Amino acid sequence: MSGQQNTAAGMSLYSNMLRWQVMATTAVTLIAYAVGGLPAALSALMGGVSVVIGAWFATRIAEKGREKTDPTAVLLNLLKAEAVKIVIIAIILFVVFKLYQALVPFALIAGLAAAALFSGAALAKSQVDV
Amino acid sequence: MEALALIQAYTGVGIGLIIGLGAAGACIGIGIMCASFLEGAARQPEMIPALQGKVFLLLGLIDASFIIGVGLAMMFAFANPLLSVVAK
Repeated sequence: MSGQQNTAAGMSLYSNMLRWQVMATTAVTLIAYAVGGLPAALSALMGGVSVVIGAWFATRIAEKGREKTDPTAVLLNLLKAEAVKIVIIAIILFVVFKLYQALVPFALIAGLAAAALFSGAALAKSQVDV
Repeated sequence: MEALALIQAYTGVGIGLIIGLGAAGACIGIGIMCASFLEGAARQPEMIPALQGKVFLLLGLIDASFIIGVGLAMMFAFANPLLSVVAK
């Protein structure tokens, strides 16, 4: 597989990941709305959106390093992307917990967990054979 | 009052354990995966671009437990459901 094909496949992997996260967040938000009303739905949405925003920033950083050929540089770039993701998620969660008075904590955790865990589902759609 | 202080103290210990053990587990997992990536890259350098996306996804999966732990810890720090029992 050529380098250009690998790069294109890698980018589709990232967009797949974001798509799965958005779908998981939407599903949990709808369930939370049905079970707990609007505050629960908003809480679940914020939990999921925090992960999606963090993953989006991490994806941008990871894409920058796609042309690197040194494994150590690749790894450092990926770890930097992951660190940025965690910091962004923590900041957004902190702001939500501080500012949103009608927060339903369990709905927020459900949205967060669904978005974080379903990102791995993109592996199933991976078009890169290893 | 004493019960409130006890709940807060134990909650603080719990938050520390959630974040500390979660971070330790995630670090061990990431270390193992990164070692495998470097080994694979050393054996077949042409596979680096193909492995890169998968490593990124797996990093997210390994860190998911830690991120969920951080969310739970923040819930106990800012909206502790255990305190409502004392308030009644």
